[in-house]
Amino acid sequence: MSQITASEQSTHRGDDVPRDADFSAPRQPRQRARRRTLLVRGAQLGLVVLWLVLWDLTARYQWVTPVLAKSPKQSWDYLVEAVENGELWSNAQATMIAVVIAWVLASAVGVVAGITLGLLPTLERILAPFLDAANAMPRIALAPFFIVAFGIGVQAKVALASTLVFFIVLSASRAGVRSADPEWLRLSAVLGAKKHHLFWKVMLPVATPAIIASLRLGLIYALLGVVGSELIAAQNGLGQLIAKYSSLFRLEAVYAILLLLAVIAVVLNQVMAVVERRLLRWQPPADH
Amino acid sequence: MNSSTLRAHAPEAQRLDPMIRLRQARVTYPKPEGGTRTVLHDIDLDVPTGQFVALVGRSGCGKTTLLNMIAALVEPSSGSIEVRGTTAREARPHLGFMLARDALLPWRTAQGNVEYGLELRGIDRATRRQIARDWLGRVHLGGSERLWPWQLSQGMRQRVALARTWALDPDVLLMDEPFAALDARTRIAVQQEFLELWQSGPQRTVVFVTHDLGEAIALADRVVLVGEGRILDDVEVGIERPRDLESVAAHPRYQELYERFRASI
Repeated sequence: MSQITASEQSTHRGDDVPRDADFSAPRQPRQRARRRTLLVRGAQLGLVVLWLVLWDLTARYQWVTPVLAKSPKQSWDYLVEAVENGELWSNAQATMIAVVIAWVLASAVGVVAGITLGLLPTLERILAPFLDAANAMPRIALAPFFIVAFGIGVQAKVALASTLVFFIVLSASRAGVRSADPEWLRLSAVLGAKKHHLFWKVMLPVATPAIIASLRLGLIYALLGVVGSELIAAQNGLGQLIAKYSSLFRLEAVYAILLLLAVIAVVLNQVMAVVERRLLRWQPPADH
Repeated sequence: MNSSTLRAHAPEAQRLDPMIRLRQARVTYPKPEGGTRTVLHDIDLDVPTGQFVALVGRSGCGKTTLLNMIAALVEPSSGSIEVRGTTAREARPHLGFMLARDALLPWRTAQGNVEYGLELRGIDRATRRQIARDWLGRVHLGGSERLWPWQLSQGMRQRVALARTWALDPDVLLMDEPFAALDARTRIAVQQEFLELWQSGPQRTVVFVTHDLGEAIALADRVVLVGEGRILDDVEVGIERPRDLESVAAHPRYQELYERFRASI
């Protein structure tokens, strides 16, 4: 051993410095990155303002049919009113509860099913055509079926949204669990890995990025599924409000709710992005 | 042929008892169009304990299959293989294994990767940590414990792989072109690192697959030439140790062996 300690000094290898990584990033690039983030946010704000102005002009000069031409101000008034009388909150709550239930249930089942199929190729071959057929079905066409089967309560929305989320998560988990490098498996086998080791220490971690990406996408699809189902028929929910105000030709209310949905989607996506970054700290940044 | 019995009375009989013994080991694969293809023809090979043997040959000559057989990844179709006096599979807890690509798990830090093999063998957490830190230090990566593999250079990654292999304290090191993927300069640095580790500790048996003749002669005690599934040549290198990679190439014996093998590689 002494030989090595003695040579320690002389073995500083010039070509072996770590690649540029955050931990040693000098101040200069970090400042530049912050400035770029500021620029991005500023441009985004600019786009929102531009779009509001265009919307307002369209309404003011009646560039579209008068029924459709409602101004941002009118939508805002509706929003304030709906918040005050509690209509917005109770319906948003109903929608979001259904979204969360559908997302959690379908994701859990989808991950388990996907990993199972990924590990059992024969079973996967048997089921593949049926899964493809089920996934190709236009889900909104199933809405009447679910509504008759489960009523206009929360179950029907959850059922419809789940059919969307399930397949997204399933196919990602299936592909993810199969993407293990054969060299890792070869090495692990020689180092004495048992089957359960391979699963927990190689296959599951390697599938994690794909699974998390699909959960993120699945959350948005859960929202789409729930609102779609509510549009067809429901006791409450934002989709049901849209249906009601559309039939009353109160388009300013419809616009307001659509915008609210858009905001919810963006927030959900950002939250998931943060979770993703946390869990996948080991991945190189996208621009690496 | 029966060299081990002849030496049975020698004082160092224990040491000379082969660590790896192949007898008439043959490996065949079924061909897709039917019939079989023989990858290894009835190999007889004894590797004494503590010997560093290099298997050289063109790609596709069967040298990796031979290594895989010792690692119990491939079963001989006929004949026998013994490692440490038992079957290859039972000897696995005493094996270290290194590949051309570092095969680091990207979701584990340098430290976590070194711990991987220890974890599979059920070593407790505190011991594992200690051993891993220790070995990272010995391959000159002290301070890099918490870096992810993508933050490391090629050479650093392969040194993490070295530490991972060594941390298991293996009796037999199986290495499949471990330095082939490195650029020339880094390769020499990592080879030197490896040679120092090997020469400094208790003598471990090494089976080293390579197509680089110079590397084989410089590092190994014995060079075995494999071609078309047979052993074509088997020579003791006989250059004294400890060796230094920079000067070994100038050794007359190195030149001689290089000439001898060059035609067949």
